[in-house]
Amino acid sequence: MARFRNNKRKPFVRQITKKQPSVDHITGDKIPKSFVFSRGKLPGPLRQLQMDLRKLMLPFTALKLKEKRRNNLKDFLNVSGPMGVTHFLILSKTDSAPYLRVARTPQGPTLTFKIIEYSLAADIAQSQLRPRSPQDLFKNPPLIVLSGFGTGEQHLKLTTIMFQNIFPAIDVNTVNLSSCQRIVLLNYNKETKLIDFRHYSIRLQPVDVSRRIRKFVQNHQVPDLRNLQDVSDFVTKAGYGSESEADDEAATVSLATDLGRVNRASNKSAVKLQEIGPRLTLQLIKIEEGLCSGGVIFSEYGNHGSGKKQKTDDEEHENEDNKDEEQESEEEEDENDDGVEED
Amino acid sequence: MMPQGVQKKVNIDKRMKKLFQKRAREYNSDDDDVEEEEEKLEQSVPSTRDKIKKDEFEKEFSDDDDGTEDNGAEENDVSEDEDGKIQPGIMKFTEGIKAFSVAFKKIVKKTASTDVLGPVLSAHKKLLAEKLVEEELERKDKGEAKKEKHSVREKGHVKPANYLDSHEKYLLGIATKGVVKLFNAVNKAQSAQKGLNPSRSKDEKVIKKRRKEAFFSELGKAASQSTGTVAKVGASSSSVDGEGPAWAPMRDNYMLTNSKLKDWDKMQDTMVGDDIRRPAYSGSSSDDE
Repeated sequence: MARFRNNKRKPFVRQITKKQPSVDHITGDKIPKSFVFSRGKLPGPLRQLQMDLRKLMLPFTALKLKEKRRNNLKDFLNVSGPMGVTHFLILSKTDSAPYLRVARTPQGPTLTFKIIEYSLAADIAQSQLRPRSPQDLFKNPPLIVLSGFGTGEQHLKLTTIMFQNIFPAIDVNTVNLSSCQRIVLLNYNKETKLIDFRHYSIRLQPVDVSRRIRKFVQNHQVPDLRNLQDVSDFVTKAGYGSESEADDEAATVSLATDLGRVNRASNKSAVKLQEIGPRLTLQLIKIEEGLCSGGVIFSEYGNHGSGKKQKTDDEEHENEDNKDEEQESEEEEDENDDGVEED
Repeated sequence: MMPQGVQKKVNIDKRMKKLFQKRAREYNSDDDDVEEEEEKLEQSVPSTRDKIKKDEFEKEFSDDDDGTEDNGAEENDVSEDEDGKIQPGIMKFTEGIKAFSVAFKKIVKKTASTDVLGPVLSAHKKLLAEKLVEEELERKDKGEAKKEKHSVREKGHVKPANYLDSHEKYLLGIATKGVVKLFNAVNKAQSAQKGLNPSRSKDEKVIKKRRKEAFFSELGKAASQSTGTVAKVGASSSSVDGEGPAWAPMRDNYMLTNSKLKDWDKMQDTMVGDDIRRPAYSGSSSDDE
């Protein structure tokens, strides 16, 4: 059958992909980009987690990054330069636990987190009655909120800086609020020394408007008026409302501009968050100076800051070459902190 | 081949027909033919013996079905046929019944063994049991290994609860607070530049000017009002100071605690507008801790 070839073969068309800007066109800041990949073979759920993390890092990440077993860290590093990739999120797995490494390219530092617990986005969606997934949810980078990191410890500070810079900075003067659709929360618990990693979607809805009217405006559907005597009943008759629906005064904002059809600048809007997932509970284990190599700045198990050759038991290294310590200590500090942080 | 088979079948059919006819006759006239029966009994003593042997044989193979018995009967009949006394393929119905009934009774009487293995040849019983036990163990091992593997794979994987527990609520609260803070800051910043298009150069100048003013007013307020908080920030980061970078602008508390720069607003012309722009609001929103 090979003889009868389709003569109307489509000519090869180079896919014209819009090149992502490496610099924000308004503020002129460099946009951080990231790779999420794994070292070693991951079991199914962790592979799913990797996909979830990629989605979380959108839009400035490689969603369909192909990795082979042959690829080593250097391959990714070589690609990262021309592509302007600034951060690596590396998932790995040992018998004791899965690990997440967050590294800055090309010179580090690398934070190693042990994943104590995790739930996938699918699990979260399954646990919810009405999981929410608007179309353009992942078109804009998330906000990041870091909480509880202000204990003054050096390694926490470094963690803060690292995570603040993993997403593009927000300029309060120019940001369009409709682009703020998601939020990533990192909460440090002082007692347990664990970091809670959560991912929420942000939704705004007008305050002091009955549920019926809100739905009517949102859905554009003809409401069911069978049980009503008069049209005015639709407006005046109070719909059912639950306690939890009551708007928290603290969670209301007034907007500078109109946001969609429903949220007007003139009246107040309530901020509603709904979890998207993934959900992680992390434990900071180690900070290395280089990219998965170099001296250990901080180690949860050992006395940190002293030994260069210090290695934690449950951690494998790609290569153990010691770099100059001074090289990246400057690199970490010159990153100005943006984003929203609070205590 | 086919026609031969058909012929044979026909033959058998004929024989069977006769047999059935005879049996039917005997059955119908049971009482009349008692004498005949007795005569025939004498003739067929050897055959009954054979049958007894067969019964013994059947004892051993208790799950023999009647088919084999029929075959045996037919063979016997054939041998009798050679004597010429009984027609080929015909056996006395009562005798056949007797042998069959004996065998059948034995089978029925036999209580089914409660053994899991069921009625199996005794020689094989042991072997089979061993094999089964082995299989069971193997399966168990396999299951355990699989379970272990699964647990390793799923390590740390937790299904979330359907409700929001207190911890999740707390986290949600924090996140909400953060969002509210940011939105308020944005509102504050953007309401100032309402009606101006940042992409137009004419408006841009105005915006820049306003921002500058807003920034300076904000800073001034912070310096005068909340010296306490600034001091606190300084105190909290003072321990850090020793390890911080040598170059002053790289430190976090640059310009906040430095007494030399206290009167910075009097030397504002030395600053570059661009540098000031962003940290202004993000700083106010972020460093409220």
